[in-house]
Amino acid sequence: MRRAAFGLVLLIALAGCGGGTGGGDSNQQATVFAASSLTEVFPQIDPGATYNFAGSDDLATQIQQGSPADVFAAASPKYPDQLYADGLADKPEVFATNRLVLIVPKPNPAGIKSVDDLRGKDVKLVIGAEGVPIGDYTRTVLENMGASDVLDQVVSQEDDVKGVVGKVALGEADAGFVYVTDVKPVADKVTAIELPAAAQAEVTYKIAVVKDAPHHHAAHAFVEQVLGSEGQAKLAAAGFGPP
Amino acid sequence: MRRPFEVLLGLAAGLILAFLLVPVLALFLRIPPGDLLSQLTSKAAVDALIVSVKTSVIAHAVVLLLGTPAAYLIATRHFRGRALVLTLIELPLVLPPAVAGIALFAAFGRTGLLGGTLDAFGISIPLTQTAVVFAVIFVSSPFYVRLAVSAFESVDPALIEAARTLGAGPRRTFFRVALPLAAGGLSAASALAFARGLGEFGATIMFAGSLQGVTQTLPLAIYAQLDLDFDVALALGAFLVVVSVAVLLTVKLLPSWTRFTLISLAPSARFDSS
Repeated sequence: MRRAAFGLVLLIALAGCGGGTGGGDSNQQATVFAASSLTEVFPQIDPGATYNFAGSDDLATQIQQGSPADVFAAASPKYPDQLYADGLADKPEVFATNRLVLIVPKPNPAGIKSVDDLRGKDVKLVIGAEGVPIGDYTRTVLENMGASDVLDQVVSQEDDVKGVVGKVALGEADAGFVYVTDVKPVADKVTAIELPAAAQAEVTYKIAVVKDAPHHHAAHAFVEQVLGSEGQAKLAAAGFGPP
Repeated sequence: MRRPFEVLLGLAAGLILAFLLVPVLALFLRIPPGDLLSQLTSKAAVDALIVSVKTSVIAHAVVLLLGTPAAYLIATRHFRGRALVLTLIELPLVLPPAVAGIALFAAFGRTGLLGGTLDAFGISIPLTQTAVVFAVIFVSSPFYVRLAVSAFESVDPALIEAARTLGAGPRRTFFRVALPLAAGGLSAASALAFARGLGEFGATIMFAGSLQGVTQTLPLAIYAQLDLDFDVALALGAFLVVVSVAVLLTVKLLPSWTRFTLISLAPSARFDSS
């Protein structure tokens, strides 16, 4: 009998949970789905918002599958524009630009000083996967440099830029292509090597309010904050370029 | 009082069954079966299949070769610290996969505990196919060893004793008596451990990375294809469901097969149980 009572309590508790999650518009904080490369700077702009950082492509998929996002900030125009075209988001706006660098672990075991050195024997290169913005930009840059053959040195294709940063910072990979803004948080572990300006990919970040955003007002306020002078100053301080 | 309670039980059972089955069924219903099959022949799917089969088979061979004698030792010898050894073997079972991944880095990474030593021999494990095998062994061997210990423990000690008094050495006793008698349990353990290894994700994506045709196993391919080609991800998922069902059926069907081999391989068992 006691066991049955316990089961009942459990059922009721579960039912209670189900009711609870559906209800809340109590906190008027925006839920922001943002590209991994914004992990450090966005909480500086608005510490109160709820963040979900991942590869822009994954975030777009999550929003398409109905995740309750208020704002979508991507490291590429491709995904916000696509959501806009599908009627899932308001018109996206450019809020920042970025550029790519090559990073190597501080001990630099493979002795890499330029993209050409990546061709060395046994060099372990980590890049973003195809379809992930950093992965696509990396391929563009290498193509611009006529160095697409270094893709043969790739040992892992990561699902977002933080995966690339992590494996290089750990010293497990010899080199990786990341955004210049990813370097600062791990500056004591990696060395950044600048790439020729002419070879750079056009990295533009776009932000949009998601259609039917659960926290509509907070969403618009967040976007205004990012586009406003204070938000832009913080983005600039983090190394992002102006829109 | 009794009837409403029965209804409640039935309701709970029905709810949990539906919750478990609907997602699995939905996997098959989302796209037509024909498309599902054709997606499986895509390059990414085939590459992942080859990587998964290769790494799983190698890892499983290691698990069986080392795990079986280890389990026999733990099951049949009563030494100091035996309980501790068993608990340590069980630890990776409850360890979150991400912890396994970071732990493998800490041990075998280039800057890890054994990394320097391995480096001296020109061996680098992280982000290679070997790393996949390491990750699979790390998560699947505890499964096998734990279940194999139980399998050996369930062998009647009187039979082992009888074999010894009849003059069989310890090696002969192991191969001719203990191993055949535990075969059913060992096979079930083997099948479950193989399935666990095949589904390994967290430790692999951290320690081995994800590269098509090299380290991208089936679960990693599902993750990678999620935003590239959802249909391929679905097809791979459906395929792994079929494999899992096959493993489960094997395990379920094993006991009857065991009884059969038990009688034919070890006639003494008949006398003992009568």
